Amino acid sequence: MAVKVLILEDNPVARSFLCRVVRESFSDTIGITEAGDLESARRHIALTGGAQGLHGVDPFKLVLVDLELPDGNGMELLAELTHYPATKIVTTLYSDDDHLFPALQCGADGYLLKEDRFEVLVEELQKIVRGQPPLSPAIARRLLTHFRHGGGDSQAPDSGFMPATGFTTSKPVPIERLPEHDRLTPRESEVLTYLSKGFTIKEIAGYMGIKWFTVNDHIKSIYKKLNVSSRAEAAVLASKQGLV
Amino acid sequence: MTAAKPAPAASRAPEDRSGDTRFEPSAYEGSMDSDGPQRWGGWRRPALALAVLLGCVAVFALARWLAATPQLDGSWEAGPSGQLVLKSHPLPALDVHRGSTVRAIGAPGMAAQPVDALLLHHWPRWQVDEDQRARQVAQNEHLAAQLGAPGGALQLHFADGNVADAPVTPRGYAGLGWLFWPLAAMALALYLFAVVLVLAQPRPLNLLFVVMALSQAVNLLFIAVEAAGGLGLPAAVLASDLAVRVALDLCTGAAVLQVFVFHPKRLPHAPLLALAAWAALPLWALLVASDAKLPLWWLAQFACLGLGAAALAVARVSHRLEPNPFALIMQGLAAATVVTLALVTAAAALAARLPASAAAVAGGAALTWHLFLASLVLLTPLLTRPRQVLREFALLAGASTVATSLDLLFVAVFALSPFTSLALAVFIGVGLYAAARQWVLNHLIGSSVQTTERTFDHLYRAARAVQAQPGRFAPLLAELLRDLFEPLEVQRTDRVPLRARVVGGGAALVVPVRDADDDARGTSPSSAALVLRFAQRGQRLFTVDDARLADRMVEQLRRAAVYDAAVERGRFEERQRIAQDLHDDIGARLLTLMYQAPTREMEDYIRHTLLDLKTLTRGLAASEHRFSHAAAEWKADISHRLTVAQVELGWAFDLDHDRALSVVQWSALTRVLRELVSNALYHGHATLIDVSFTLRGPVLVLRVADDGEGRAPEAWAHGLGLGGVRKRVKLLGGEVAWRENGGRGIVCTVRVPDFAVRA
Repeated sequence: MAVKVLILEDNPVARSFLCRVVRESFSDTIGITEAGDLESARRHIALTGGAQGLHGVDPFKLVLVDLELPDGNGMELLAELTHYPATKIVTTLYSDDDHLFPALQCGADGYLLKEDRFEVLVEELQKIVRGQPPLSPAIARRLLTHFRHGGGDSQAPDSGFMPATGFTTSKPVPIERLPEHDRLTPRESEVLTYLSKGFTIKEIAGYMGIKWFTVNDHIKSIYKKLNVSSRAEAAVLASKQGLV
Repeated sequence: MTAAKPAPAASRAPEDRSGDTRFEPSAYEGSMDSDGPQRWGGWRRPALALAVLLGCVAVFALARWLAATPQLDGSWEAGPSGQLVLKSHPLPALDVHRGSTVRAIGAPGMAAQPVDALLLHHWPRWQVDEDQRARQVAQNEHLAAQLGAPGGALQLHFADGNVADAPVTPRGYAGLGWLFWPLAAMALALYLFAVVLVLAQPRPLNLLFVVMALSQAVNLLFIAVEAAGGLGLPAAVLASDLAVRVALDLCTGAAVLQVFVFHPKRLPHAPLLALAAWAALPLWALLVASDAKLPLWWLAQFACLGLGAAALAVARVSHRLEPNPFALIMQGLAAATVVTLALVTAAAALAARLPASAAAVAGGAALTWHLFLASLVLLTPLLTRPRQVLREFALLAGASTVATSLDLLFVAVFALSPFTSLALAVFIGVGLYAAARQWVLNHLIGSSVQTTERTFDHLYRAARAVQAQPGRFAPLLAELLRDLFEPLEVQRTDRVPLRARVVGGGAALVVPVRDADDDARGTSPSSAALVLRFAQRGQRLFTVDDARLADRMVEQLRRAAVYDAAVERGRFEERQRIAQDLHDDIGARLLTLMYQAPTREMEDYIRHTLLDLKTLTRGLAASEHRFSHAAAEWKADISHRLTVAQVELGWAFDLDHDRALSVVQWSALTRVLRELVSNALYHGHATLIDVSFTLRGPVLVLRVADDGEGRAPEAWAHGLGLGGVRKRVKLLGGEVAWRENGGRGIVCTVRVPDFAVRA
């Protein structure tokens, strides 16, 4: 059976480009569903068992979501798909943490920058699906702040681009302190600190005296914790946006 | 004696004597006239009304009693050799004797008693000669007895042998003399002042002020009664005059000394010193009661001067132990009082040797001195408030005292003619008035008068600084206040008044500090206030005007900050909007174009453009970047690109201090770095790229070296890429140079000599 992929992207040229990237990335047979706006994406998802993915016989395995869409922000869909059993990837032109961090909080498993070269995108996509998500210094910094302040994440000290309108970080929703299992371990904090200073995974592995895939495991774990710790936050956020 | 004061005393709790800056809410206002309504609620208001009523009733009762006392009508003057001369009389029968000397006065059934001009000498307190005073009191006692005898008329025995009957009439209100009512009013004012003060803050030190005020009030009433017109005063008044009035002066002096001992700083052995001062009182009682023939007046004057000098010394010691503008001003006032008292004493002593007319002048000097003292007592608790009338009155009284005393001294000592002496005395008096006025103004109003220009300058600079750095509002405000008032120290406190207030009787000013962004929340003050202690390095008292000035300064600064924040917000939003539009519209189109690029070179070119656009929009939207943060992103970005191209990256980043990059610096460095790395990567086909940042002080050096095929950089045609690098480096104020890397690739060095100062 073909692996089902959903690509949500309003620009047809970019959409077909992403299709090529997806096909190039995997050797399996791929069944790609394309959507140009949130509405049709929701329809496609409903056909495969709904946003919770509970009754779906054949749900999407991979979802690529563009953030800026004609009828809303891709993050809305991500928030709805919190429990959907697919790898969710944000494809965007915005590479700054102000745009990406909220997407990660909504449960994205990774992000792709659309202006990257074809072969770079292929490699990045493969990495994400393999469980090696990217983590830029700005986002690492943001994560450190987020976990240090118990989830009530505030603007990172060096916040970059942030549009005045649209679905962005908006105001941080204050929630109570993170439960113990959602806090970073010392190792994870260390990894984040190195990342925030611009070190590569290989360099970090060298400094910490561990294997590079152990570093990667830490990053994955951080992603998960961010999503878990943000779930309450995201729920509040979603209900505020009238999504739930 | 010396004047004194204690609103400051009032404002301090007893445990605050050590002079620390703790203050309770009740200490906020030392003076009464701005007391909150709550303080005057309850029993205080009726009590005050009652006290006012009692005071007025007492004054009117005194007037009524005095008006009812019998007297000999007519106006009298002293003859050249001390005889009593009838100047005029309302009865025509007696008026014919005008100009005649009265030698004796008799009453029906009583022997005629010889009289002279001593009957006219109003104040035994200032009668220097003991015998003279005894004769004066005796003459007045006889006259009082004769006036009290039934018969309704006395016989005046004139020197020319004539005897005339003079009717005895009640004095009547008109006969109270022109001095009675002003003096009674001043006494009443002192009394009310004391009542208000003690009702507002019943503290031990306020009670001392009450002692001073009441002593001087009674003193003034004595003077008022003795200044009544006509011949013949109630016997008891004159008989007790010296004893009582000296006792009152000693009381005032001892109270002043005690205040200075305990305030503003409690001196070592304070109770002992106070006790010694008060010991003067029983001592005086003993002297008066003893029958020994003592120069009582001289003793009294020495005692008063001694107490005054002691108070002055105590104030000096207090100021030396802890510089305090209050002690300083009190020193000045005490010195003025002691010096004028010494002058008056000398004048009175010399006048005793001069013709009788000089005695009247001496009496005038004594009178003005008492007014001076009374006005100082009234003034001192109000030092921090603009009470110009009272201040001028005190100055005038002091200057007049000096002038009249000097007038007599010149006549007596230098034998000047009365006219010369008067002119000289007036001249000196006026000069003294001007000088003292300046001194008082300097210590009370100070910089606000002389340095409007400086004030404006400070405010202007502070406002500019606040606009530049709104976050530093509180420290800048503290700095501004420090410049304006030059206090000895500035402290923070958590007790925040709603407005700036003078506390500790002018020793400190409490200014609430509201943050600039506190505006929306209205009047809720922030959690801090600044306490400024001792204006002008302890030379000056804070006044209520200073508090208003401080309030206005805070308001102005806050407005500047709020205004600037609004401007900055508007600017930021506008930049974000532009960035958003650029990014969304142009970015999306470039992306589409890039996907459809016919050639690889075209695609790279568009990607480069897109990256530049992103850098540009990010630069527009973000206000600043930390150097280390930016470097981290550069490194991650470059290593990402090089990893894909399988090129090795050498990275060195060496800052002696991290700092914020301006938008211009950030975007210039980002694009220069990207361009240089791209060159090495795509044109040089390098396998190793070495990037190093070094910031030493203001000097930034960026070095990008590769091991590619690039050679002979001097022969390069500078296209869009290298031209862009040159342009941006020039924008940073630096220079860029390319050279061969020892035969293996190219080294590009960017050097910015004053990186730190460039905006």
